[in-house]
Amino acid sequence: MSESGITIKGFFDGVRAGTLTGVRCGKCGELAIPPKEFCPACGARDWHAVPLSGEGTIASYTVIRVAPPRHAADAPYAIAVVRLKDGVQLLGRVVDIPLEQIAVGLSVRFRPLTRNGQTTIAFGPA
Amino acid sequence: MRRVAVIGVGSTKFGKHERTSAELFAEAARDALIDAELAPGAVQALYYGNVVGGETEKQLHTGPQAASVLGIPRVPTTRFETACASSHAAFRHAVMEIAAGLADVVLVGGAERVLNVSTSESTEYFAYASDATWEQPAGLTFPGVFALIARAHMTKYGTTEEQMAHVAVKNHRHGTLNPKAQFQKEITLEQVMKSAYVADPLKLYDCCPFTDGGAAVVLVSEEIARQRGRAIWVLGSAAASDSMLMQDKRDLARVPATERAAAGAYRQAGLGPEDVDVVELHDCFTIAEIVATEGLGLFEPGTGGMAAEKGWTSLGGQMPVNTSGGLKAKGHPIGATGAAQVVEIVTQLRGEAAARQVDGARIGLTHTLGGNTATVLVSLFGRE
Repeated sequence: MSESGITIKGFFDGVRAGTLTGVRCGKCGELAIPPKEFCPACGARDWHAVPLSGEGTIASYTVIRVAPPRHAADAPYAIAVVRLKDGVQLLGRVVDIPLEQIAVGLSVRFRPLTRNGQTTIAFGPA
Repeated sequence: MRRVAVIGVGSTKFGKHERTSAELFAEAARDALIDAELAPGAVQALYYGNVVGGETEKQLHTGPQAASVLGIPRVPTTRFETACASSHAAFRHAVMEIAAGLADVVLVGGAERVLNVSTSESTEYFAYASDATWEQPAGLTFPGVFALIARAHMTKYGTTEEQMAHVAVKNHRHGTLNPKAQFQKEITLEQVMKSAYVADPLKLYDCCPFTDGGAAVVLVSEEIARQRGRAIWVLGSAAASDSMLMQDKRDLARVPATERAAAGAYRQAGLGPEDVDVVELHDCFTIAEIVATEGLGLFEPGTGGMAAEKGWTSLGGQMPVNTSGGLKAKGHPIGATGAAQVVEIVTQLRGEAAARQVDGARIGLTHTLGGNTATVLVSLFGRE
């Protein structure tokens, strides 16, 4: 378990409940997505859990049309890297936005997406 | 550190084979040893690249398996896995073993077999090189990774889908000159532009194929190389890594690991991008070639698309890139690719590349990228 107490399981338990939790370095202020042992910016080990807003804009995106077997039923589907207002980026599905309206810079908001019992990060209209 | 040279190279034809990856490697390694005029008993170690053997062939421990099929079962053998850069990682470690004086003759190679499974299965297995917690559950694919990079590059620099298409047309043209290439047929800009989207903005013809194949090179110490007439010297070999997750890459239009690996290799060789005559780089997708030409310092950031469009990277251009046809047309048997790039550069520097020869090539560079850009290796080669 990392210093902040946030494991991958803990992070995704939060996602299921509709919350995103990051970690901020107590030494240099770097914001990161857990789990991390050492701060990649300064090497310190002084993480503090902080809630993330879940609001951000699309930094880049793609529409997956040839999907692996376990996602084939969803294709075509969009995936984006979203830059959150808090400063970190998160990758997730784009949902509830028509594919042709997705664009770099579009404002989106986090929401959990549960498919076949597995919860992933998704982003819908802001 | 001792100097290291390549004195033998070999490669199978790339494409579909009804043979195991170990057999494909053994054919390439046989030809590399014959080329080096060395008996198999001279080999002191094997450094081997293989990526999805566990999935497509239900086979782990592929290093000793490959050595056994070649007929050198007793040499110390290690399999490297850095996704698509595996046999370049194997190459760098073999160079270090000889440079450190631990061995005088080391075989490096790799092989992959994927065309024995369906495209959807291969798509899944290749996605294993993305993160299993954060990226695979979202449905991110290997083309999807480079589609995110392409969209970012288009947004930041104005790169166009047509400029990317020029990379595909050029590499297919080069592939027609390489008898070992998987595709030896020219394609048109219109064919690329009209092909179906796989992961927008990347279309089918922006993507390299799935490929079976093997490649191998023989590395030796300076003392042994001096007894041979055709040594090609390893002038530098460097590796760099980057964050595993796409979301942790702050500028998706760049591949920082390419920039760091290139800086390391150039420093070791005492050379710069202006000294390079011929390049084999990792064009798993057309955008990957554009970003790599920028990261290697061959063109300014943001101008790689223009360089492709204007033909600067074509045979006969100012900076010929992927004379073999690249991953795009020669094919991409992932575990073999790093070694296969060395095969092409050595062939070029020997002046033996026939119709695709770059006249007077003295300095060559290979660049291999692993999966989601978290691994990059760059090596430099020169003739005496």
